[in-house]
Amino acid sequence: MSILEGLKFYAGDTAIHKLDPRVKFLVSMLMLLMVVMYTEAWILVTLMVVQAAMAYAAKVVRRWLKTIKGSIPLAVLVFGLNAIFFITTGTHATLQEVLYHSATLAYRLVLFLSSFSIFFLTTTPEEIGLTLTSWRIPYPYTFAFISAIRFTPIIAQELRDIMDAQRSRGIELDKGGPLQRAKKLVPILVPLLANALRRAYELAEAMEVKCFGATKNRTSLRELKMRSRDYAALLVSLTLFSLAMYSRLFLL
Amino acid sequence: MIKFDSVTYVYPTGARALSDVSVEVGKGELVALMGENGAGKTTFIKHLNGLLKPTSGRVYVDGKDTRTLSVAQLSRIVGVVFQNAEDMFFLPTVEEEVAFSLRNLGFSEDVVQKRIDWALKFMELEVYKKRSPFLLSGGEKKRLALAIILAWNPQVIAMDEPTVGQDSMQKEKLKEMIKQLSLQGRTVIISTHDVEFVAELRPRVILMSRGKIVADGDADTILTDGELLRSCSILMPQVAATMSRLTDLGFNAKVISVEEAVRSIVKRLMEIEHTRRA
Repeated sequence: MSILEGLKFYAGDTAIHKLDPRVKFLVSMLMLLMVVMYTEAWILVTLMVVQAAMAYAAKVVRRWLKTIKGSIPLAVLVFGLNAIFFITTGTHATLQEVLYHSATLAYRLVLFLSSFSIFFLTTTPEEIGLTLTSWRIPYPYTFAFISAIRFTPIIAQELRDIMDAQRSRGIELDKGGPLQRAKKLVPILVPLLANALRRAYELAEAMEVKCFGATKNRTSLRELKMRSRDYAALLVSLTLFSLAMYSRLFLL
Repeated sequence: MIKFDSVTYVYPTGARALSDVSVEVGKGELVALMGENGAGKTTFIKHLNGLLKPTSGRVYVDGKDTRTLSVAQLSRIVGVVFQNAEDMFFLPTVEEEVAFSLRNLGFSEDVVQKRIDWALKFMELEVYKKRSPFLLSGGEKKRLALAIILAWNPQVIAMDEPTVGQDSMQKEKLKEMIKQLSLQGRTVIISTHDVEFVAELRPRVILMSRGKIVADGDADTILTDGELLRSCSILMPQVAATMSRLTDLGFNAKVISVEEAVRSIVKRLMEIEHTRRA
């Protein structure tokens, strides 16, 4: 569940929070490209250090670490699957190489998730909506996306409540073999789905009451505007990225 | 029956929900946990069947430390009904919903049938036996949740906010059922901020605020202490507020239920009439 915590927005007043969401998104995308481009361990470690510095500047280190912690099971899975793949296909000669390459791939996944975690932790759902609108994505789709982000923590809480209610009826969720455990998911998932459907209907009604979609040309109270600090951040990140590209293509 | 020994509970987020709480609830007692939102009532209830284990201190249920028992084992002694009844429902019929818990707890099939019949009858739901739980009304859903728990006959029944979203008639029904359960010798603990409901039940009241117990005593004393109640964001029951304004005329101020108020007013009026004639 901690991986979801890392995708929830928390209000803050730091330089990172104030940055234009489009710039923040671009920085996350550049990070992603770097992660895809490089497999060298020292560069990946440097990227993590840069992210840590950003998380520190945004005062979200604890929540950012939670995302990393939450992504570990996924990383272990990626590591295992790659190791099996490398061994069975004989891609790498030595076991040391297999382990090294599997570990880098798993680590890249963690880096990717943690980079987007900083974006989500410091950007309000409204800002994400504005960003998507500025890219001319139709508002109904934007709204659906924002609602999904907004309702994730609520659904996570509901899941906990349902688990509590069912455990109080004598269901032992963590006992039994894999098949028995899978069966025990039914009492959890049915109420969760029923609640989600009910909430969807309620949301639809609330939106209709507020005349959602009544006018074709939507205006927004706040509009995104690039300021000098946004241009500065953009310049710095693009320069660093260009340097990295240059070294990748011509030096390494 | 239940003993909280210096219980502190801190959620993983760092929020301290219970702070050094010590209290005992005896067998067969009827207790209302009262307090504002976030006072720690639900956290208290979740400690009763081991859903939460204390960060420090101990909770004993029937003499056993809750840390040593699983939720399933504790649930046989303490049945907890949560605020949102729908969180429980996943089977096609009311009957199967009750049977599910009984089978989980290992009851034999003939006992399961008897218990279903008894619980649904007690909760006045027998006509809905074959209906989907999702098609019941709000009040009926709540009663079904209670029937599910009552079916295995736990010694302690804890209800979290049982009156939320209930109309007056449903509340009246619920009140009568709680009274009956109490008369049958079961320990009943309800968490609520519905003063009018508590005033009619007249239980022992444990008043909580910010994770601490601020008062513990009979309903007549606590629900007539306006200042104490206000400090916990609770208002006096209407009857008590009315009677407290009539003290100058010699009316008894420590009255919380309608019946008692009527009796007290009639008595006082007769006294006045008697003195006037004399």
